[in-house]
Amino acid sequence: MKALGRDTRHLLISVAPGALCIGVFLVLPSLYLMAMAFLSTGPYGLPALPLSLQAFRELAGFGFLGWSPGNLYTLLRSIWQSALATVLVIAIAYPAAYYIATRAPRWRAILLLAVVVPSWTNQVIRSVGWMNLFAPGAPVSNVAAGLNLIEPAMGLFPSQFAVIVGLVYNFLPFMVLPLYAAFERLDYGQVEAAQDLFARPGAVFRHAVLPQTLPGLMAGTVLVAIPAFGMYVVTELLGGGKATMVGNLVAEQFSQSSNWPLGAAGAIIMIVMTLIGLRVLRRLGQRLGGEHEVVL
Amino acid sequence: MTTWWLERGLRVFWWALMAFLYAPLAVVVFFSFNQINSSARFAGFSLQWYERLFANDVILSALANTLILAATSTTIAVVVGGLLGYGLYRYRRLRLGWLIWLIYLPVVMPDIVFGIAEMTFFVTLSDFVPVLSLGLSTMVIAHVTFQVPFVALLVNARLLALDAQLFEVCADLYAAPWQRAWFFILPVLRPAIIGSVLLALTLSIDDFVISFFTAGPDSTTLPIYIWSAIKKGVTPEVNAIATLMIASVLLVALLSLIIQPASSLASDQRRSRL
Repeated sequence: MKALGRDTRHLLISVAPGALCIGVFLVLPSLYLMAMAFLSTGPYGLPALPLSLQAFRELAGFGFLGWSPGNLYTLLRSIWQSALATVLVIAIAYPAAYYIATRAPRWRAILLLAVVVPSWTNQVIRSVGWMNLFAPGAPVSNVAAGLNLIEPAMGLFPSQFAVIVGLVYNFLPFMVLPLYAAFERLDYGQVEAAQDLFARPGAVFRHAVLPQTLPGLMAGTVLVAIPAFGMYVVTELLGGGKATMVGNLVAEQFSQSSNWPLGAAGAIIMIVMTLIGLRVLRRLGQRLGGEHEVVL
Repeated sequence: MTTWWLERGLRVFWWALMAFLYAPLAVVVFFSFNQINSSARFAGFSLQWYERLFANDVILSALANTLILAATSTTIAVVVGGLLGYGLYRYRRLRLGWLIWLIYLPVVMPDIVFGIAEMTFFVTLSDFVPVLSLGLSTMVIAHVTFQVPFVALLVNARLLALDAQLFEVCADLYAAPWQRAWFFILPVLRPAIIGSVLLALTLSIDDFVISFFTAGPDSTTLPIYIWSAIKKGVTPEVNAIATLMIASVLLVALLSLIIQPASSLASDQRRSRL
């Protein structure tokens, strides 16, 4: 009885501060924000009684002037841009992780650090760097204009292209790290066996490399696709209103065009999409993993 | 033959990747020494932006705020998160599913929703609790909230990697609880605690979105200053501030290379905020 009491006390001392911190300062505020979506918009865009579903109706595009698809496009654009960025990140991270994992052990830490260090700098600073590179008259823009890819004197930013580059730049390390961990444990015997059987490079990759690195790939996809969907800074700075995502739409309701209930409804959509995304990716991982077992 | 070509291709790819990763940072550093306020044409070397920066009171107070915020939130988060990680390990046999769910919540929550939720919450509460009006105190609370899970997970991972019998050894040697904590748990956790401090510091200095929404008029940090300078289109010292921040990150990177081996870096894959 006394031992149980001590245990409970220990549990409380160790766990309670952290749990309370997250509970009071994240769970409560989130619930508060979500509740706001079910209120109507009062003066100054602040929430007011009575309860209503007006915010969701507005979010779906029903306004004074009838239905407009703008918000729906924003949602679809968020999904499309984060998906595209994730695919590009995977395409770059695979060779990068393979390269690092096949160097001499003493080099690996340094090379890995070289990939990770840029992500330690502030998000805003990284975007400033790309703004400098892509501004009209900057070297990269001049090259693009010289190749007739863009109008001369136009610059590569602000544009959807700049946003995608920014997203890839931001999230690349989160794919390289788990893939590297997977490549480090890779059983090269399987790769050699495939080559001995005259498998073409594509087949070697699909049957010997991909199944073994799948856990890393799925972990990386979660770390890239989910936060890319909720991105705010990159779209705001590099997109210039041409590639807005849901995060920008939500933030706008709490600053320029103040409408808290509408923003809260948007936040609910973001949370729901995040949870759906996590679930879909987990299912996908299980299904692919299951297939892998059948193949073997 | 094929492997030779593969190796060659990989090497070219690697250097292209390095150019991609470091070009934006290099451009910022390069133009911070520009004589004119331009990021397109280099007119000659000058340190004038740095001189102006150190003469600008707003920037200096933003720097002070950034450092105070990072140091305070890290100190609190390492204590609270460390305890949480230990509790999670110690009572892992109890069903603490809700606790794990709670710990992952700040990690998966989109930044923007996190920041706005706290902002609306604090704005409403500050009518009743003046301490919670937007400013450094609310920023510290917000930062601690997103730092705690990372510290807890790091400490927990370190404890899980230990041989559980070591705890029994302590009991067999009649170690009092404080002796066990002081002579066994803390020394064993030292790498995890150092890692947590570095991680929490970088998380705090890195963060923009959550700081932006929980900041008050007098608690501008460097990232917020840079942001508003860009938004207003006034950007003379921005490259110089950014260069100083990049330099400090490179310094931390060098330090961590000396302190931490590669394997722990790989396990830090969740190191930055999602």
